[in-house]
Amino acid sequence: MRSFARRNPRMVVGGAVVVLLLFTAAFAPFIAPYDPIKVDVARALLPPTGQHLLGTDDLGRDVLSRVMWGSRVSLSVGVISVSIGFLLGVSLGLAAGYLGGTFDLLAMRVIDALLAFPALVLAIAITAALGPQIQNAMIAIGIVAVPAYARLTRGQVLSVRAREFIVAARAIGVPPLGIVARHIFPNVTNALVVQATLGTAFAILAEAALSFLGLGPQPPYPSWGQDINYSQRYLANFKWWMSAGPGMAIFIAVFAFNFLGDALRDALDPRLRRSA
Amino acid sequence: MTQYILRRLLLMIPVAFLVTVGIFVLVRLAPGDPVLAYLGEEKDPVSIAAVRREFGLDQPLPVQYVAWLSHALRGDLGRSFHTKQPVIEAITERLPATFELGAAAILISVTLALLVGTLSAVKRNSAVDLLTSSVTLMGVSFPNFFLALLLILLFSYVVPGRIFPPGGYVPLTQDVADNLRRLVLPAVTLATASLAVNLRQVRSSLIDAFGQDYIRTARAKGLAERPVIFRHALKNALIPVVTIIGIQTGAIIEGAFITETIFFWPGVGRLAVQAIPSGDYPIVQGVVLVSALSFMLSTLVVDVLYAFLDPRISYGSARS
Repeated sequence: MRSFARRNPRMVVGGAVVVLLLFTAAFAPFIAPYDPIKVDVARALLPPTGQHLLGTDDLGRDVLSRVMWGSRVSLSVGVISVSIGFLLGVSLGLAAGYLGGTFDLLAMRVIDALLAFPALVLAIAITAALGPQIQNAMIAIGIVAVPAYARLTRGQVLSVRAREFIVAARAIGVPPLGIVARHIFPNVTNALVVQATLGTAFAILAEAALSFLGLGPQPPYPSWGQDINYSQRYLANFKWWMSAGPGMAIFIAVFAFNFLGDALRDALDPRLRRSA
Repeated sequence: MTQYILRRLLLMIPVAFLVTVGIFVLVRLAPGDPVLAYLGEEKDPVSIAAVRREFGLDQPLPVQYVAWLSHALRGDLGRSFHTKQPVIEAITERLPATFELGAAAILISVTLALLVGTLSAVKRNSAVDLLTSSVTLMGVSFPNFFLALLLILLFSYVVPGRIFPPGGYVPLTQDVADNLRRLVLPAVTLATASLAVNLRQVRSSLIDAFGQDYIRTARAKGLAERPVIFRHALKNALIPVVTIIGIQTGAIIEGAFITETIFFWPGVGRLAVQAIPSGDYPIVQGVVLVSALSFMLSTLVVDVLYAFLDPRISYGSARS
């Protein structure tokens, strides 16, 4: 264990922070010191103290508690949108790569069309069209992520499709779905794990941006991006702590997933490491 | 070369078609009746039916799409529900502000990336390099709207003299100095995220170039380190950097959505952000269409430029 940590310090540090974030999100109702939406005007705009480690907002709500509850939104959007992108993208990539022909041509044009939009613009457009709700933000960020998984999977499938072990599996009568699931998919997993980790970092950042623009969860429920937007009006009064808590939380979460993703890329995919 | 450009243009057609279908469907998915949004307080069923007929909204969806596309191809993207201004006019009058902000951000990002990226590659694994790598990763992870607020706080309340105002816009033609002062904070905000990507690209391209035979030859014949770096390595290492910069140029509107909103910069991004909550779909649709088309066009220009800059790429196989 110690030698693993010495060999992969970035993976250990990134992984530890990610585990800590997941723990906070899962147990926020038990570990958050205060109710995140309970208004207590008598305690409004208190700077950080021993009682309120990150201070309170204009309605007297504890910033730390809101940051802890906000992690549930950010991480669930991260995990669910990455899952949507992963499932759709990998299925499309596997089918396009394995089936080839017209299906491949059509699928890749759809992917090209998705790639024709700048990622955040597409996420904003989809969320604006579906309505400002957390589920819609998840769907939007998930759809934006589809091309990366589809292209990655398709490329890997094309490179292994003609290899001897696939030809052999086909020759002994393994059905196409079995070949894809048992022989092709395991060859893609390393690259996909890296993509999913880095994708979670993007998803958290994108959710924060959508919430900042008012397209995420609606008040009074805590969300990092929305809380920063709300606290903007108090910057002029130098009430910096209202934005500092959620801002640092976004930074730490995105940094941890990027850090872990980079470390995983180096450890799992030497081909990517060379090209990085 | 001409054949290659023509082929790339032809390949763009089906993608552009799908993009327009996507944008059309998205707007039709939007909650609420666009006619009610257009009419505002007016609730008379006769007027509602008349407007519905006028906009062709009583037609089947495919017919509506063809009508919308044929208008769009002629530069008619409809009118804003609220100001009744033609969408294309609303976009074009805000484009100069967005371009100015984008150009300044790219200039800052590329200049810094070239300077620090080169230093980092030359002094690989040194303290400077390690510091640069960490700062780069932090730059990618830092939400730009939070950075914007920090910059506003710093220059409004900590640094005396209010050198850079926290927002607002003065046209370049009206007062150059004031325009540039107001440009600094939004441009630095917009530049930060792309700076990290550019810096990484410059560094890794240069490190790749340093391993090539021609660099070894240049050093073996006794050439000083400075010409080796600037005349040989950097010149070749810049080719992949061009790709990244080109793509960023196309994505200017993307970054502008948030930066322009925070700094009250009257560009295309802010126009769209203001249109979303009020349900002004023609504006949102127009901005998304313009940003997708400019992104596609910049990808095309990059591909062509790449084939032109790197003679090893044959025009026949350069399509990614």
